[in-house]
Amino acid sequence: MSEVLPTTTVGSFGKPDYLTKARSQHARGKLGATELEELERKATAEWIRRQEQLGLDVLVDGEMYRGDMVAYFAERLEGFKIGGLVRAYGNRYYHKPIIAGRVKRPAPMTVSWFEYTQSLTSKPVKGMLTGPYTLLDWSYNEAYPTRREAALALAQVVREEAEDLERAGATYIQIDEPAIHARPEEIDIAIEAMGLVTQNLKAKTISHICYGDFAAIYPRVLELPVDQLDLAMANYGYRWLDLFEREPFTKELAIGIVDVHAHETETVAEAAEGIRKGLRFVPADRLWPHPDCGLKTRTVDECVEKCRIVVEATKVVRRELAKVPA
Amino acid sequence: MKTTVIGAYPKVGDDAAAQELRRALHRHDRGEIADGDLDAAYDATTRAALKEIEDAGVDVTNDGQIRWDDPLAPFARAWGGVSRGPLERFYDNNTYFRQPVIKGPIRADGLTLVKDFAFARAAVTRAELKGAVCGPLTFATLAEDRHFPSLEKRVLAVADAVAAEIRGLKDAGATLVDVEDPALVALPAHIELAREAYGRIAGAGVAICLVTYFFPPDRILESLASFRVAQIALDVRSRETTALGRLDAFPKTTTIVLGAVDARNTRLETPDEVARLAEGALRLVSPDRLWLAPTTSLEYLPRDVARAKLAALVAGAKSAGGVEA
Repeated sequence: MSEVLPTTTVGSFGKPDYLTKARSQHARGKLGATELEELERKATAEWIRRQEQLGLDVLVDGEMYRGDMVAYFAERLEGFKIGGLVRAYGNRYYHKPIIAGRVKRPAPMTVSWFEYTQSLTSKPVKGMLTGPYTLLDWSYNEAYPTRREAALALAQVVREEAEDLERAGATYIQIDEPAIHARPEEIDIAIEAMGLVTQNLKAKTISHICYGDFAAIYPRVLELPVDQLDLAMANYGYRWLDLFEREPFTKELAIGIVDVHAHETETVAEAAEGIRKGLRFVPADRLWPHPDCGLKTRTVDECVEKCRIVVEATKVVRRELAKVPA
Repeated sequence: MKTTVIGAYPKVGDDAAAQELRRALHRHDRGEIADGDLDAAYDATTRAALKEIEDAGVDVTNDGQIRWDDPLAPFARAWGGVSRGPLERFYDNNTYFRQPVIKGPIRADGLTLVKDFAFARAAVTRAELKGAVCGPLTFATLAEDRHFPSLEKRVLAVADAVAAEIRGLKDAGATLVDVEDPALVALPAHIELAREAYGRIAGAGVAICLVTYFFPPDRILESLASFRVAQIALDVRSRETTALGRLDAFPKTTTIVLGAVDARNTRLETPDEVARLAEGALRLVSPDRLWLAPTTSLEYLPRDVARAKLAALVAGAKSAGGVEA
């Protein structure tokens, strides 16, 4: 990137009303797969246009064709069954997958969406995958005798997908591990599994981590074999940065500067202050301002507003940096 | 040998009829229905949950905790000096809770759960009803504290508030109250502080079941055995543990509630597996002191699997029931 403080987002955006309705019609058998996909492509194109208008630097496809970040892959992998509804929080439910047999990838799962999205813009689009440890932790494991064996089997299929994304031209591949701190004693499993995924990749690799006890896995998480860690910070009042005082942060940092679980958005001044906090630990060419997490629970307008704040706050800090000779 | 449940029962099922509460909450959120309509949906869902638990043949039930957003929410909402903060992961689950934020002295009127308890008491037909509250160590260690100068003061203040809630349940007719405190086994280093907290709770004058789950009690088993509680619930299924072979550490007056079906995995135990586990415990505990339960809240499972787990639990208890210690 030519600019310092490159801006991006974590992956998902709110779906427009027409797509939410279409997905529910499709689930009830009242809308065909082709018709649904047409609308998903339309919504994806709209999000690419919005991201360009907002001035974000590295784009995402917005996951208009995905529901849950684990179920999407589970539905496309052999060995998984889709389980019943389980509550995540409040009134939010998801179909928790069941690993019922040996896991295999019969065909690429995200590559055609990446190719389509990248064809709509000259800016780079990230390839977006869910990491093996999270796929394991957010599923019921009935098939593998140990969690490590299940994680390594899942790493193999994620690796096949990541390598296909790279062959399709992805220069940024994000492999999210929001569950990585669920069991801090298993960090070695998460690191080993991610190593299998990224070992042959030349693309910049990123892993998003959120909502858990990050302190419990720091600094071990610096051994996760990716170039960039992508962390929720605003939701936590930036408390994880204190950890970097004691043990320097050694990777690129994508820093969350707006909370995604509130209807209201931080002011530009508050978000800019978040970036300044990050700059105390990570230089501007390695610090990526973005929202805390995926924005899929927000409306389209709320998503746009949150991204606008990220971009405006970044401009403020970029101007400050330009005035101060390095 | 009795069977019981722990924590929350699934609030929705997979068929449309079992999703009434989910729809009502959405509509309430959008301002389309009034508070009274949402209340009616909560009541109907509570009745349905209790019916499923009773139909499975469970002997002792709680109210299903259908109104609980998370294991701390009713208390964080009701207690003075506490507000609700950001979403946090609840231990090693893909389930999240609003972090309580303690901003001043904690004030509890002890009435937080009384209405729900009375409703459930009218709704149960065969099963005995027990109360349930959050554990003091769990609430205190998961909260953000902007008020108390030390963990010790915070835990004891929460214990006093929990004791007030237990007294409230007792006045409403409860004879047994679960205190759900996974922090005891998650953070065994605080065992002595917890003992002091439970000393305060013991004064509430009702039988207490100290409920642990998610983690094995191995490191603190003997210490737990000296807590002044009527019952202790142990998860002997979801992780490796030596607890099953050490149950003789508990006094002859303590009932062991054995977490015998894994409430966090869909793999269904057979009644035989449950019975074998119970028989292992019966070598060290007499049948009148052994109850069987799911390892934790059944809400970590889809509702149809929760029902099947309860069926396996009850069948296993019946099959093990004839075995003498």
